[in-house]
Amino acid sequence: MLMATSTFSMAQNGKAITVKKTFSRETSVSIDIKADAAIVWTLLTNAADFPRWNSTILSIEGDIKQGEKIKLKSTLDPKRAFKLIVKEFEPEIKLSWGDGKGTRTYTISKNGKETVTFSMTEKIGGLMFPMYAKYIPPFDKSFEQFAADLKKEAETIYNAKN
Amino acid sequence: MRAQLDTEFEQCSSQLRAYILRITASVQDTENIVQETYLKAVSNIETFKSQSTLKTWIFAIASNLAKDNLRAQKRWTENVTDICKAKALADPDYFPEVLHIQATSPQGLFEIKEHITFCLTCISKSLPLEQQICIFLKEIYDFKVNEITKILNISEAMVKYYLHTARAKMIDIFDKRCALINKEGVCHQCSELNGVFNPKQNFEIEKNKIEMARIAEKGDKQHLLDLRLQIVREIDPFQSAGSDLQIHHLEHNRKVMENIFVKSEE
Repeated sequence: MLMATSTFSMAQNGKAITVKKTFSRETSVSIDIKADAAIVWTLLTNAADFPRWNSTILSIEGDIKQGEKIKLKSTLDPKRAFKLIVKEFEPEIKLSWGDGKGTRTYTISKNGKETVTFSMTEKIGGLMFPMYAKYIPPFDKSFEQFAADLKKEAETIYNAKN
Repeated sequence: MRAQLDTEFEQCSSQLRAYILRITASVQDTENIVQETYLKAVSNIETFKSQSTLKTWIFAIASNLAKDNLRAQKRWTENVTDICKAKALADPDYFPEVLHIQATSPQGLFEIKEHITFCLTCISKSLPLEQQICIFLKEIYDFKVNEITKILNISEAMVKYYLHTARAKMIDIFDKRCALINKEGVCHQCSELNGVFNPKQNFEIEKNKIEMARIAEKGDKQHLLDLRLQIVREIDPFQSAGSDLQIHHLEHNRKVMENIFVKSEE
């Protein structure tokens, strides 16, 4: 139900969209990738390898598996390590992690033989959200960069010689 | 079929030994794994369904045995050559031993290209094991991606991912470390050892005989790695002119790293 009214369905072609409400903020991006879902999934679930291809991530410690705790540092707030839990883990379909304030969800949809649509959304909010909202930087550029980096890396791997 | 197996095994056994040595860094483990590969192949030959070539099937057996090998599972660090150089310099027996090998062994020559292959073996042991196996199978032993999927029983996507990440990491490590391709590189071991073993040689002249070093300033990094791997492809670590010397280096490095693992577990 959330998806129908969220930014999720509006964000396309690598352009991020943010919808702000009183008690929440939601940013989404979506991009088509010419690679198979397995490659995209592999890139999204190999924690230690993230900084090599993803210019928005400084480090991820831990195993990206259902129920596991991870520690993430991003370029948005380099001094802070976010302690997150992997909430959903459906191979090649859906991955989400988050904490008490927000959840980031990644989905991979197969569009036929050679292309997938990758989508990423992060919703942060709660009753206290209005008090700390101004301290949270905008995600749009970082989301667009994440999607672009993933597309570039996945397509490079997919197009490698056999 | 048994006769075909024996013929194929004989034809690929040099490659197989070199492949396993590069994964385990142990001559003893290599001999054991190669022998066990043959015994397993013989006892399971009736299960071979011709869905791959015999060579691919043999390498699959050997790769599974290598993956179970504890020495193969132990991963080294990117700066392995720095650590092991310090240990060698601190060991009063090390240089007398290697100079004795050089003086007495028919396979005791020091050649820069052979040291490049030794170095790649050491650096490759800092990659995750699956990445190391994939890059060796594809780039040194000429297996296709679809053959590697059968050898390792993993998807094509994973093989491509492992190959890509292995190459990216190797490019990054050699770019930071190897003074042959980067003037800022911190590792000068080739030139240092060449000075010890071949004091009459001019290192710059010798270096310029190696295409990878000669074109380093112009060459793109992917191409430089391809040239490095080409050198490795051309050298059999058991048969080369300096194999005794390089195997001694390799076993020394393995023992140093094993001691570090033991101490860290204590």
